[in-house]
Amino acid sequence: MLRLFRPIQHHSNLDRPVPMRSPITGWLLLAPTLVILLVFGLGPFIYVLVVGFTNWNSFAADPTAHFAGVQNFRRLVFDDAFLHSLWLTFGFTFFAVLSEIVLGYLLAQLLMRDIPFKGFFRTIHTLPLMVAPIAVGATWRLLTVPGLGPLPYYLDRWFGFDLRIGSFADQAFAATVIMDVWHWTPLVTLTLLAAISSLPKEPFEQAQIDGASRLQVFWYITLPLLKPAILATVFIRVMDALRTVDEVWMLTGGGPAAATRYVGLHIWRVVFPKTDYGYGAAMSLLTLYVTILLCWLMYVALVARRELPRSE
Amino acid sequence: MRLRATVSVVALAVGLVSGAVPAWADFWSDAAKDLKGTTIRGVTESTPPSNYVKDVLAPAFTKATGIKVEFETTSWDQMFDKEIKDMEAKTGLYDVVYIEQDIIYSYLARSFLVDLTKAMADKPGLKAADFDPANFTTFIDYFKDPTKGNDLFAVPMESFIKTYLYRKDLFGDPEVQKAFKAKYGWDLAPPKDHKQYTDIAEFFTQWGKSKDMQLWGSTVQAHTGHPASWYEFVESVEPTFGVYNWGIDAKKNYAASVKNGGSMNGPQAVAALTWFLNNLKYAPPESTQSTWDEVAATFAAGRAAQGLVYGENAAWIATNESKSKVVGKVGVALPPLEPGVLADAESGKGYIGYFDGGAFAIPTSSKNKDAALLFLEFIGQPSVQADWAVAGSRITLKSTYDDPKVKAQDEKTDHYYTLMKEKGKLFAGAPTYPFHAQVREAVAPIFYRAITGELTPQQALDKMADAAEAELTQLGYRK
Repeated sequence: MLRLFRPIQHHSNLDRPVPMRSPITGWLLLAPTLVILLVFGLGPFIYVLVVGFTNWNSFAADPTAHFAGVQNFRRLVFDDAFLHSLWLTFGFTFFAVLSEIVLGYLLAQLLMRDIPFKGFFRTIHTLPLMVAPIAVGATWRLLTVPGLGPLPYYLDRWFGFDLRIGSFADQAFAATVIMDVWHWTPLVTLTLLAAISSLPKEPFEQAQIDGASRLQVFWYITLPLLKPAILATVFIRVMDALRTVDEVWMLTGGGPAAATRYVGLHIWRVVFPKTDYGYGAAMSLLTLYVTILLCWLMYVALVARRELPRSE
Repeated sequence: MRLRATVSVVALAVGLVSGAVPAWADFWSDAAKDLKGTTIRGVTESTPPSNYVKDVLAPAFTKATGIKVEFETTSWDQMFDKEIKDMEAKTGLYDVVYIEQDIIYSYLARSFLVDLTKAMADKPGLKAADFDPANFTTFIDYFKDPTKGNDLFAVPMESFIKTYLYRKDLFGDPEVQKAFKAKYGWDLAPPKDHKQYTDIAEFFTQWGKSKDMQLWGSTVQAHTGHPASWYEFVESVEPTFGVYNWGIDAKKNYAASVKNGGSMNGPQAVAALTWFLNNLKYAPPESTQSTWDEVAATFAAGRAAQGLVYGENAAWIATNESKSKVVGKVGVALPPLEPGVLADAESGKGYIGYFDGGAFAIPTSSKNKDAALLFLEFIGQPSVQADWAVAGSRITLKSTYDDPKVKAQDEKTDHYYTLMKEKGKLFAGAPTYPFHAQVREAVAPIFYRAITGELTPQQALDKMADAAEAELTQLGYRK
């Protein structure tokens, strides 16, 4: 007789360790992911790594690639335009991500309350997330063009403010930050909304009984409990902001002059229009290294340090 | 009875012959009989001439041959980005690519393009009788490779001059004329030199302000983050001051700086940049965010009294009421010039402005070269040119100038076509450098700093000359 099911054996089986399945099954299950990672992740990375050590411009007198050792990396250290774009990117990332976290948190708290048209507002609020970055850039460009866009018109009419992001560096920088905040704050709001919804009620009730102020509740209870969600969001947004290209390219083209030529845009110009593949690859590698370093420093500063055991 | 039989036989014979004619007389369907169902993909810049190809000529070609055409019209930057990546990686995504006369030398150096002369000779069955390179204007010479017996590598699809446009209605207004004469002491007319241009720009800016109009004295293509501004300067402004070929002298080891024999930072270049930047005082506020497209839109919106505008936009600005507020009010003339520049141009030593244009070519990586070749011949036929010229103010065949439709459009555009026909030879395309984009990317960021006022004209040009020479050395052209 064919036995389709084995009878459940209590006690004795539970006491014994469950035998591992063949490791081959595990590798087979992982194989598609590993192949995709190798082909689309590791492969291109190795290619960029190799190109970064070459002198290769396809429109040079000699268009072939030649091994150049660390020459590209040495050039980078003295390249004012690259270093400027890197510092500019840090500034952009700092202001954009900080604004998004603060604004995202406030909006998440607002959406936790019973306000009229909450569902409608939540839907409208998340719409920017669905717009492609290039379309966001084009929209903001139309909004800010003098003579056509409503922003310069109303700012001038109501406040006498002359908005010309093509002429004034500070305005262009602020415009790119505001555009990024407009585009990505909904992501922060949604993440924090989910985190706030799952917070336990007990600590808040206890704090209320103990007479804690709202600030104390926020600082000693809400913030520590939300820390994992906030940190995850900050890391995602920092990495995204550091590689911003398309929105800014569309809005300002990196101008005026180099006022918004963030590092992603700078690399794009070097690699594609200028076809300086070797040097552009070196820039990409250094930027990747800086991004990893920055995230590691943030991790150490915000998470790991507090978890390390104190020395006696 | 006999007569009836004869008539019947003749009628039958005529019927059979006329029924058989399309089978052998229609070149396009015959030549494409093995290519029916093929899809060719093209990429081009979104301009009036290119949009006409996408919307009118491509469907007509499909109807004639059964070959489908998918055209991607995009921004100038994206177009070059996409096609260079495609040809570099040899992916064969595109069968037809747009090239400008200034970049073809870079492409030829990399063997990116199919030799059309050879392709037609190798496959006589694909050679249309209506397509003859000899019919084209001399603009076609830009797309021939002198190192390969002047073989053709691309079929011109647009060519026009970047010229001076002005508001005829304003210039002809007696009140304006009187006020202008009283202030400047000369009769208002299209400017002959840069001083006159500035007078006009200043006058109309003040006129607009005093009348509470959205009117400024001049368009300026001065985007501070897009190479369009640099192009306006080196291609349209500098030549009018006598600085040619971007100020780089190929014969002197590609020198750019005056100290090495170039003229990029010479006195004429400084005067040119000073004049260009000064015009910003009389330009609409959107000018520092304006590329070639926005300049045309600004003029069409009636926001500028004069300016240098790409000719491909002249027709729609002057005639299309759904897009332009200045229909019937547009005048065309030659750009303002410094003394001696016209003589230089007439003698062939120099030129007075930019002769822009583009062509379609077939990448060597294309997977449908035969179908693409037929398409290029199709758009080069005389019969499709007139409507295209009317829609896109471009002319590539000599005979197109004499077409009644073009002549009628010429009247409506203040004789823009006649100006191009008669004075086109005074304009020139970009120099035949294979390092076009590389030098541009090296110097344009410095140029933007001059527009924002961060650098004086002299400082900017000195830095640009140094950057150009450094880049040319890095690329291996300058020894």
